[in-house]
Order: sequence, then structure tokens, then C-alpha cells
Amino acid sequence: MPKDRSEKVRVTIDGRSIDAEKGKSILEVARECGIEIPSLCYHPGLESFGACRLCVVEITKPGWEGWKKLVTSCLYPVEEELIIDTRSEEVRENRSVVLDLLLARVPESDVIRQLAAEYGIHDTSYTKREDADTCIMCTICVRVCDAIGANAIATLSRGPDKYVDVPDKDACIGCLACALSCPTNAIPFEEFVNGKRKIWGREFDLVYDEISHEPIGTPEQIDHFAEKSGLPKEYFLKSDKVRKKETAVTFARVQF
Amino acid sequence: MSKRLFVTPYRCTDCKNCEVACSFVHTRNPMKPALTRVRAYTLMGEIKSVVLCLQCEDAACQTVCPTGALTRNPDTGAIDRTDACILCKACTMACPFGNIHFDPAYEEIVKCDVCGGDPACAKYCPTRALVWAEEPSPDLDPEEEIEVMPLPWAMTMPAK
Amino acid sequence: MSAALSFKNPEALLAYAEKVKKYRQQRTMEIRVCAGPGCIARGGREIFSAIKATIEKNKKELKKKNLEVGVKFEAKCTGCHGLCEAGPVVTFEPSKLFYSKVKIKDAEEIVEKTVLNDEIIKRLLFKSCDSRGGDLIKKYTDIRFYALQTKVALRNVGVVDPSNLDDFIAEDGFKAFVKALTEMSPDDVIEEIEKSGLRGRGGAGFSTGKKWRSAKRVKQDRVWIICNGDEGDPGAFMDRAIMEGDPYSVIEGLLIGAYALGATDGFIYVRHEYPLAVKHLQMAINTLEKAGLLGKNILGTGMTFNLKISRGGGAFVCGESSALMRSLEGKVGEPRAKYIRSVEKGLLDQPTVLNNVETFTCVPAIIDKGSSWFASIGPKSSTGTKAFSLVGKVKNTGLVEVPMGRTLREIIFDIGGGIIDDRPFKAVQTGGPSGGCLPVDKLDLPVDFDTLSRAGAMMGSGGMIVMDDRTCMVDIADYFIRFLIGESCGKCVPCREGLRQVHELLDRIIRGDGELDDLKKIDRLCHTMEVASLCALGKSAPYPVTSTIKYFRDEYMAHIEEKKCPAGVCKSLVKYDINKDCIGCLICKKQCPVDAISGENKKLHVIDQDKCIVCGICYEVCPVDTVDIISGGEIVNRRELEVVNP
Repeated sequence: MPKDRSEKVRVTIDGRSIDAEKGKSILEVARECGIEIPSLCYHPGLESFGACRLCVVEITKPGWEGWKKLVTSCLYPVEEELIIDTRSEEVRENRSVVLDLLLARVPESDVIRQLAAEYGIHDTSYTKREDADTCIMCTICVRVCDAIGANAIATLSRGPDKYVDVPDKDACIGCLACALSCPTNAIPFEEFVNGKRKIWGREFDLVYDEISHEPIGTPEQIDHFAEKSGLPKEYFLKSDKVRKKETAVTFARVQF
Repeated sequence: MSKRLFVTPYRCTDCKNCEVACSFVHTRNPMKPALTRVRAYTLMGEIKSVVLCLQCEDAACQTVCPTGALTRNPDTGAIDRTDACILCKACTMACPFGNIHFDPAYEEIVKCDVCGGDPACAKYCPTRALVWAEEPSPDLDPEEEIEVMPLPWAMTMPAK
Repeated sequence: MSAALSFKNPEALLAYAEKVKKYRQQRTMEIRVCAGPGCIARGGREIFSAIKATIEKNKKELKKKNLEVGVKFEAKCTGCHGLCEAGPVVTFEPSKLFYSKVKIKDAEEIVEKTVLNDEIIKRLLFKSCDSRGGDLIKKYTDIRFYALQTKVALRNVGVVDPSNLDDFIAEDGFKAFVKALTEMSPDDVIEEIEKSGLRGRGGAGFSTGKKWRSAKRVKQDRVWIICNGDEGDPGAFMDRAIMEGDPYSVIEGLLIGAYALGATDGFIYVRHEYPLAVKHLQMAINTLEKAGLLGKNILGTGMTFNLKISRGGGAFVCGESSALMRSLEGKVGEPRAKYIRSVEKGLLDQPTVLNNVETFTCVPAIIDKGSSWFASIGPKSSTGTKAFSLVGKVKNTGLVEVPMGRTLREIIFDIGGGIIDDRPFKAVQTGGPSGGCLPVDKLDLPVDFDTLSRAGAMMGSGGMIVMDDRTCMVDIADYFIRFLIGESCGKCVPCREGLRQVHELLDRIIRGDGELDDLKKIDRLCHTMEVASLCALGKSAPYPVTSTIKYFRDEYMAHIEEKKCPAGVCKSLVKYDINKDCIGCLICKKQCPVDAISGENKKLHVIDQDKCIVCGICYEVCPVDTVDIISGGEIVNRRELEVVNP
């Protein structure tokens, strides 16, 4: 049986001819082939959002008579005969302006500074935002929270004043996935302060393993995951290390 | 038939070669056995056993994963953690065998991926407590001498 | 006639239409009171109630004069009549008599004199805004504002009572729908629309027929049909006038669309700020559901179409199609990149046809009169007519509809009557806040989709803002950018961050801190916004800036190099000074809010520049015009008009 029966389309990326799986985005195909396209709001586990505009590439087709257009590679699906340029002058120009703009938004973010430096920008040419944090509004946190099913994080307001917050603090399960997935580490959190966890202005209790006294997670997190997965709650009440040891005992018992 | 990792606990000597080998292959810091995917234990002072991911058929980690980041690799048969992971750690909580972990230093989920089809732990197991094979190896006499493949780092150790 | 109408089949509807028309033929006089947004604001509703009350009082008198109320005579409240400048407007049929600027106290006089005694009240007649001196005009058909228009989309607005189905049926309402239902196959309808060349009136101007055809081609069980009534452009109210004044036509267009596409469910997405439109549409939907024209088994043909109203949350961006659909799904109203078109995957990832209010209103007219009739109006590439809301420094502000291809000059000077006070024309901004500003030498451009976009402006939904010589183009560009900052959804970086930075740069120029380098920065930024923004709103957001830089570069240069605002608008670059002709009347001194003016009676007054806040009150109140606006060392107040309009 052939391993891969998906439909293929032939595209050219930066001069390389590639058989790409139909339905995939340009960004996915390029990365699979080791062609790096910078991105900030793209996350392989989440629906593409297309907001950072850093992953723009220039596309054309043989029939387009030289006409080219700029598209967002994380959203644009590969098509037969597509000719993609990931680093044309137009692409680099737009990425530079976008990075310059982001640098004005988050002058303190190391991630953005490094990326901007790759495009020759060491200081923004625009007006820096006052009291800037490091959030670039990629909304990965919002989408992560939606994927988990807590739906606690939302974007509020609009335009340049748009920001990310947890409007209903009770909806947050304190799993930290948002903070850990944030590309610019813009979501502050604290662990083990008096045995508790702090994030989004809320304090969470932690459930500790009875044997090893290692922290497992917040009670809200355990309830949420148990409910979502339909697995028994007992599954969630021991630390991974304790359980691993228990598994060793089971293994040994089978033998002797 | 595809290969699998077979564990024969009574052969295990808790020599930790598997842990070190795993460390070498997976972690950027070679010496972080606390977070290796495979662990060897000495229980109650004398019983020894090695534990690693069972690549369950109907895996709890896969069930609980919200983004489908844990996918079965058709080539190796292992459940691989992909980039789609959003670090919610639900899998580490759900695995009944404690075989999937969160690495706080590198902020990633770690689990056994059978080294992409050539597991280092089995390769460097001196006692064949861990075997990468299509079928379980026939019972060997525990006294039988086994050829031991030296670990790379061991070769650089000064000779006595 | 009867409250509970119900039509079992198309023939019943046609028969009823005949009956209504016959009954109406007895009518010898009709008063129409405009209840468009402008006229309501000036008391149009109260005038209508006053007229109604007076009629009630004079019922016997009227019967004596052979004007039996309800049979031979009727007074009704209609939608926007168009000439908002002259509102509140009261018109008479069939005499076409036109009363402007009517007040509540005029109601009695109107009934007693005009209705009962055929006497014309001269002071209520419309004065022509001709510069040669105002002639009084009796009939609205003689007013150039009306005479030069061709009404297709607005055909019933200002004619019918929006709450009265009989009124609509008397104006051939649902004739087109019955024709489509009984004489045409769904494909015939699509072909007819395609042949008419109708392009979407919402902004992008995509062929409506093609859109319908591609939605039909998608193999899916369900097709959605949505009417976009989220008109958010400042100064635009075409769709509002239609929805408020002629809701049945919109619904008829949707019904024809639903029949053509096989859609069973539809939405009208109405802007939050239009409660009257919602009210009238809801009334129309309720009536039609009872009448057997909406819901299950429409006119006994087995066709099902459920129509619901969805109210927007007041976000400009929700007028963008993909954001609108997200909003309908109950998600945050943010645009999505449309590499997969919404006719294939729109609402709930099902094929969706979204058209603007005006587009849907054109559909019944096309089906009724035929595609060749519609295609014969306007140039080949942009057929039909287009409604515009003409606002700004123009004499006849209001709602107009002209054939495509008319020049800007005809619209502004012939229909609009020219600039207020006959000042020089400076620019016209077409296409809403993200449209472009066109200068004098573009006045002869024909108004159609392609010509406008080639000139760096756009058709947009049809807003038209006229500016005179006292408008500073840098200031106006910044004004639109500030509007867009408030309305950007904030999803993508070029629009969210770019707009903020463009505003910062423009603000520097306005403050007098601008450098030549700033213009280059703006250019670069605008280019990225144009090509790299996510949705059409972001892509067109820099147009007010790029078009003003293109056509009014000298004005930017004056701000940057000479630190001078030629229009005398930008406060940081302007100061007020009293010249030697001052008569020392003390008026400005008394009015100054910060006591910056010193001087005694009959002596020259002086403004203390340190105290002055450049509010301009002294300039406005000076009875002898001796206050000068000075910018860049020159007097820039434009009191004398050297230039007569081109």
C-alpha cells in the first residue's frame, strides 16, 4: 500500500521544484523543505491567523505575464504551477517595514530586536510606544486558550489600542499554556509563590502529588482536562515521575 | 512486522547506560538524566527495571491533546510530539505510565520517539534488557556473556 | 387595504396589485412628508403629525372639495427625498409641488391654503442656488438637483410609505419577483443579472452575476444569502435611506437572489446605529411572512426563504465581508484573508453570497425592465446608476443617483449646485474614509469603478465629500487617518501599527516639526499598508494620504519647508493678528475666551500671541474683517474670492 495517497501539486519555491501536498499552505510546504520563512503569529497547532504579515511571499504563475502579488504564506494554499519567491526585494522591503513597526511597538522585546537586526534594523525609525510591554498581538495565546477549550483569553478594544486580557477570570484554568506559547514572553506568571501559581491577575492553588509532593497542576486544570478527554480523574492526580516508578514496579512484578 | 522496543526487566542492572544514551541523543545538554525519556530503577534495594514509553495503541496522551500534536509516526510506530504542541501539559498529567514529561528549562514536552527508528537506549544496553526488534528475544541465560557496545563518552574516559 | 394580506399564489398577488392600482387611480392629491434622516432631525415626523391632525380637523371641508381622505386624498410619510439641504421637505402629487424648510407651524397653512384652495405658499418654495440670484421653483422636477438624476435603486425612496405594503405593490412591487418565479428558471435569473453588467455597489465592484454563478457552482447543500447593510463610512447614507425608505425593494432583491441561488436562509446585516432601518425592515419581514412572501411555501410555489435581521456591533470593519460573516457566526468581527472566496466558503464555511443593499435593490429593476435596459445606462464596464451621498461644502447636500459615467463636475456643480458661498472648489473625496481626494483638474473624470480607481480614489460605497479652499489637505488626511485608527480592527500589523505611525508623522507635519524625510517615511509605510494589509480596508486605508500627497504635494511642502499652512487651518502654524483697519469696537476683546486681546474703545486692538489659543473666535466675530490669519509670514485668510469656480 502506498504510504502517501494525498494529491500532489508541483510548485517552485525559490527556484526549487517541489511536489507539495495539496491543501497545505505555502509556509508549511516551504518549512518542510527547509526553506525558512519568518513568522510570528503562525503556530502549527492552531488555525492560521495571518496577522503578523511577516511571512509574506511573492507569487506568480506562468500565465500571469510577469504579474506578481504579495500573499500571506501561512494562509495561501499551494496551487499547481505556483512560482513562489520567499526573499524577493518586495518581500524583504515589506518585512523590514513590518519589523520596523513592530520594533516601535515593542522596543524591549529581544525576539523582535533579533529579527529586526536580521533585516538591518537596529533602531526603529518610527515613534516608540510609551510604556511598551512585549505583546505583539499575534493572538497565539487567544487561540491556544480556545484550542484547550477554556476560551478565557480574548482581544479587547480595537485598532492600536487593542489588547489581550482575560475578561472572565473564572474561565481561566491556570494551565500556563498561553504564557509558554507566547513568542515574545509577554504574559507574566509566577510559580510556587507560597505554594501557589499566579497568572492573569489570579491566584491558583496547586495540586501536589501525595507521595513525591511534586506539583501537578491547578485543580481547575485537572477538572478541565479530565472532563474534556473523558478520562477518569484519577489519571490526573499523580506526578509523572511517581507514575513512572509505579510502572517500573509493575514491570518488575510481571517478571518475578 | 515492524520493530518495537522490548523490555526484559530481570536483565536490567540499573547501569543507567540507557539514560545516558538517551540524554546524548535528545537533550541539548548531554547530562540531564532527570529528564530522559527512559529511566532505569532499583526497587526495594535489589529489583531492577527499566521503563519507557509503551507507545500505547489507544493512548491517553493522544486523547487528551487539544491540538492533535501527538501523532503516530507511520515509519517508526512511535507517537511523536510535533510542533503543534501548545504546552498545555495535559498529556503529562494524563499518561497513566508517567512516560511523557515537561522540560521546564527548554519549555517543551519530551517523550520517547524511538530515536526515529534506531533507539539509542537499546543500542547501548549492555545486558539486552532493552531490545529493538521485531520479536521478543529468546530467553537468554542471565550468566551468558554479552557483547557490550561502549558508549561514545566512555571511550573518551581516561583508561585505568 | 386590509391588514391581513395573504397570497396563495402568484396570480393572487398580481390580481391584488391590479386592484390596488385601480383604487389608487381615484386619488387626486397626495402629500408626501419626507422622513429621511435629515428631515427627521429637523422635525419631519412632527410636521407629518401636525399635517395629519389638521387634515383630521378639516375632514368635512375636504370632502366638500372632493378630496375624501383615504380615497381621493392621502398624506403619507416617506423615506428620504434626497435634497436634505432643503429639509424638511413636503411634496404634492401629482402637481409635483415642492415645499422646502417646512416648520411645524406651517402645517395648518399648508392644508388650508395649498390643499383646500390650491394656493401656493411662496415662502416655502425652493430657491434655486444659482449664483445669478435665486428664482423660486414650484415643481421639484424643475430643480436641477432632481432633473439631472436617474433613479433606479432609489426609485421608491421618497415615494412609498415604508410601512405600507400596498404602497409598494402599487409601485409594481414584487412584479419582478413574480416574473422570475413564473417565467424564468433560476439560471435565467443569474444570466439576466450577469448580462446587465451589474457590479457590486458596496465598494469592490465585483460582477454580481458572476458572484451568484460561482456560488451556485459549489456543490453544497446549503447556500447563504446576506445583504450587507453595515454602512459605516462617515457622511454616507445611501443604504440607510434605502433600508429606511424602501425596505420591501431590498427584500424583493433578496427573494430573487434566493430563488436564483436556491438559498433557504438569508440575513440582512444592519448597522447598529440604524434603529429605524431595523424597525422598518422588521415590519416589512413580519408583513411579508404573513402575506406568504417569506417563510415556507412562498406564493404556493414550495419555495422556502427565511430572512432574519442581524444587528452589527457598531464596528466599521464589520462592513468587510469576511469580518461580517465572522460577526454573524458570533465570533469577533475580524477579517480573514480571502484566498478561499466566500462564495465557496463563507458563513459557517458554506457558500455565501454577500451583496450590498443598493445592489439587491437594483436586482428587481433589472428583472422587471430587462438586462439590456440596465446595460444601456452608463459606460460598458460600469453599467447602471449609482447613488451617492453628496456632503461637505456643497450647496445641495443630499442623496443623489446618477447614471455611471457622469463627471464629478456634473455631480458637484450641476446637481450639487456648486460650493457654498461660491468659494473655490479644492477637492472631492470619494469612497468613504479610505477613499482618495481628487483635485480640480480631475473634475471632468467620469465617475465609474475603473476610472476612479485609476485616479487613486475609489467608488467605495458612494460617499462624496466636497471640500473648499479653506480645507487643509494635510489636516484632512490626518482626520481620516484618525477615523481609521478608531475603526481599524487591529488584527494585522501594517494597518494597526502603520496607521498609528502615519498619524504620528502627519501630526509632526501639522505641528510644524515635519522634515522632508517624513514624507519618504510616509510613502514607504503607505506602500506596505497597501500591499501587505490583511483586508481591503487596511489596503485602502492609506489612500487619503497617498492621494493628497500626489495631488497636493505643494501643500505638504509648505507645511514642511515654510512652516506654513496655506489654508490657515493647522493651529501650530497659524497666528491671528489684527490689522490697522481695526475700528476698536471691543467685540473681539469681549469674546476672546482667554483674554488675549487688549485695546480700548475706538483704538487699535492687539492680540497677545503668548496668551492666544488660536481658537479663531475673533476672526469670526470681527464686524469689519480686520482679523487676519497669518501663516508662514503671509496672510492666508481667504476672504476675497479671486477665483470663480472653474
